[in-house]
Amino acid sequence: MMDWASESLAKVERTRADRMRQSFPAISDAEAEALIKKFHPDFSGMERTLKIGPNANAEKFPNELADLLEADSLLPKNFKPVVDVETDVLILGGGGAGVCTALGLEGSGLSVHLATKLRLGDANTVMAEGGIQAALGPDDSPRRHYADAFVGGHGQNDPGLLRILCEQGPASIRWLNQLGALFDANPDGTFRLRSGGGTSVARVLACRDYTGLEIMRVLKDAVLSGGTQILPNHSAVELLDDGQGRVTGAVLWHSDNGQLITVSARAVVLATGGSGQLRLQGYPTSNHMGATGDGLVLAYRQACHLIHLESFQYHPSGASYPEALVGQLVSESIRAAGAQLLNAAGERFINELTTRDVVASAIIREGVEHRGIQTPNGRHGVWLDTPMIEILKGEGTLASQFPGLIHRFKRYGIDPAQQPILVYPTLHYQNGGVKITAEGRTDRPGLWAAGEVTGGLHGTNRLMGNSLLDIIVFGRRAAESVRNDLPARGPVTLSALQQFREARPAGASGGTSPQLYPSASGLKFEVSGKPVVGQPDPATRPAPPASEPPDPFAKR
Amino acid sequence: MSDVSNNPLSGTDTVEIRIQGKTIKAKAGETIIHALWSAGLAQKIQTGCLGGVCGACTVTLRFPDDRPGGTDLACMRPVEDGMEIFPFPAEHIPPVAPVMNPDAGKLRAAFPTLDRCTKCDSCTIACPMSIPVMDSVLRMQKGEFQAVAEDFTTCIHCGLCRVVCEDKVKPHNMGLWVRRSLGMTRETPVLDQLLAMPADAQSDREWAYLLSTDPAERLKRARAFRDQGGPP
Repeated sequence: MMDWASESLAKVERTRADRMRQSFPAISDAEAEALIKKFHPDFSGMERTLKIGPNANAEKFPNELADLLEADSLLPKNFKPVVDVETDVLILGGGGAGVCTALGLEGSGLSVHLATKLRLGDANTVMAEGGIQAALGPDDSPRRHYADAFVGGHGQNDPGLLRILCEQGPASIRWLNQLGALFDANPDGTFRLRSGGGTSVARVLACRDYTGLEIMRVLKDAVLSGGTQILPNHSAVELLDDGQGRVTGAVLWHSDNGQLITVSARAVVLATGGSGQLRLQGYPTSNHMGATGDGLVLAYRQACHLIHLESFQYHPSGASYPEALVGQLVSESIRAAGAQLLNAAGERFINELTTRDVVASAIIREGVEHRGIQTPNGRHGVWLDTPMIEILKGEGTLASQFPGLIHRFKRYGIDPAQQPILVYPTLHYQNGGVKITAEGRTDRPGLWAAGEVTGGLHGTNRLMGNSLLDIIVFGRRAAESVRNDLPARGPVTLSALQQFREARPAGASGGTSPQLYPSASGLKFEVSGKPVVGQPDPATRPAPPASEPPDPFAKR
Repeated sequence: MSDVSNNPLSGTDTVEIRIQGKTIKAKAGETIIHALWSAGLAQKIQTGCLGGVCGACTVTLRFPDDRPGGTDLACMRPVEDGMEIFPFPAEHIPPVAPVMNPDAGKLRAAFPTLDRCTKCDSCTIACPMSIPVMDSVLRMQKGEFQAVAEDFTTCIHCGLCRVVCEDKVKPHNMGLWVRRSLGMTRETPVLDQLLAMPADAQSDREWAYLLSTDPAERLKRARAFRDQGGPP
């Protein structure tokens, strides 16, 4: 299947026996920093400062994101918000963070609407592969977890947020276990812990290489049994405020029928996720199709501070061949299990379990300095020597531990148990985002945020397994904070948007935002018809049944 | 090193595919979804993760010759010449609450259609994840739940196995019910013990060490803590 690379593949085979006996030295802090500065896309200079808003003339933002943050609203100039739906809590986003917030509000007696641009659960959470960190091992502690994440984040992490994350690790695993998530176990029944890049002890729990899928399908099943009213195919296009700086609702766009819906809420929780589909600098992405940074745009128009958005995570191992899989994630756990990274000559060039930003930079260096492999489609790649795992851990290990990897590549006639695969960095995670407090509050009362849309927690480089923990911990914390301190209902106005529009410089970009969809999809925001009224009240929905309705054909 | 002309998927070949009466050109090797995007037809198929795990973009396929059609995920399936594509969304159905200590009897009570399976194997054929669905339904009938949980490890809940079942068996819903029920029932004594441990003076000292107020000092201390597994 990869005959065009047979010469390089032969070198990989030839060097394998020797490589397997050799350990690769860890990179020094100074070398790592130099490598990142020279090769990491964050330092390519393709960024600029903003002209308006709370971050104006301060930090730099990637050009693509800066354009969206300064762009005009999608809403027509003459749009007047007239309330169609009243709810207590409006959650924007149907991935892990949004659903955890919804579950945290079960039993509160509050009406909860969850609006999601795609379907419930079609989010980056479901695509997470490698695992979730929690300090459960005998030599581990939340302090050690903290130290690893703080070093990995280059000391830029918000210490208060990070401490909460690490301290809540074990309790979050118990919560997931009680919901019925099945994590991989050791023969003695304890949770199996793996290493990840930058962890000093084995701390990553997993469900094979489908950990996000396992967590999301359990969360989704749980929330569908509860009282939350789900609004699929409803994109948030603007936040509403009371004219005094408090967020009081949102304007949604129903993509099935093109209608705009005004929602009045006492609390709005932003859980809109990341922005990989902005495809910064033309990089491929491992993200789902809705990851277009919408929440950043909405929060910024409400004058919320953004933090660390100069920093994005390029996952070292995105597939770079075959073309149909380009950008898709190849789990870091595969490196943790022993697969080495190799250049065209079959030589190692980095310790594979260094943090993601360093490994990605090292791979880019191999490409730039012509030591990598070029695919027939002109893409760079380096080998990930997956057959090593079969040799190290026994035949069949890949199929049993990494079924997702095998399943995806076998479609294209490539068996990773038999031959190495080609990988190259892929835009994976938005390290920064909306600034939040320990309770998940943004700068604006009435507006909370949780998950990938937020910034500060992970510093400027997130460790594997800390984003799945993030959505559980901070999704639930946002819910708790909302329950404890729910504001009264306020009027819905577009005051913040109006101020934003007035502040926009005359020569600002002619575009609009949020972007909603990848540009390549050609999907566009188009308004039609009148806003709908009278959404069903979740309070009047019947309780979930203990079983399905009886089978109508039972006595046939 | 590489010869582009040797590769059938080099990106220069085009194929013709059909969707809902429209014929469009697509690049060989690209997925159905990307072909639709390029043709401005993205709205034809509900799409989610683009990575084969959310189950949004289910389709049925047909070919003019005797190539087998069947069901698949449009985000994972490469286009082929002559392929005709039919969107085939499978709506969610309401979940059934999982239970502690599940057995076949409890599963039967929760899903009364369990025993209606006529062993036609449509579900297995429809599954885009190559799960042995029908065999697993037979295992469910016998209460072999560990094996069932294993079978459904890779289930993306696209719903295809359910919507193709003429007998209203709900394999993937039952698979999740089994997995969640087993998960809820799992005992975690080590974790429980860990959570029951009160905060001690040692952990307070460690936090005080790590949370130094000087930012430069903080990173230095985190490094030292990491290297030594604790404060010096």
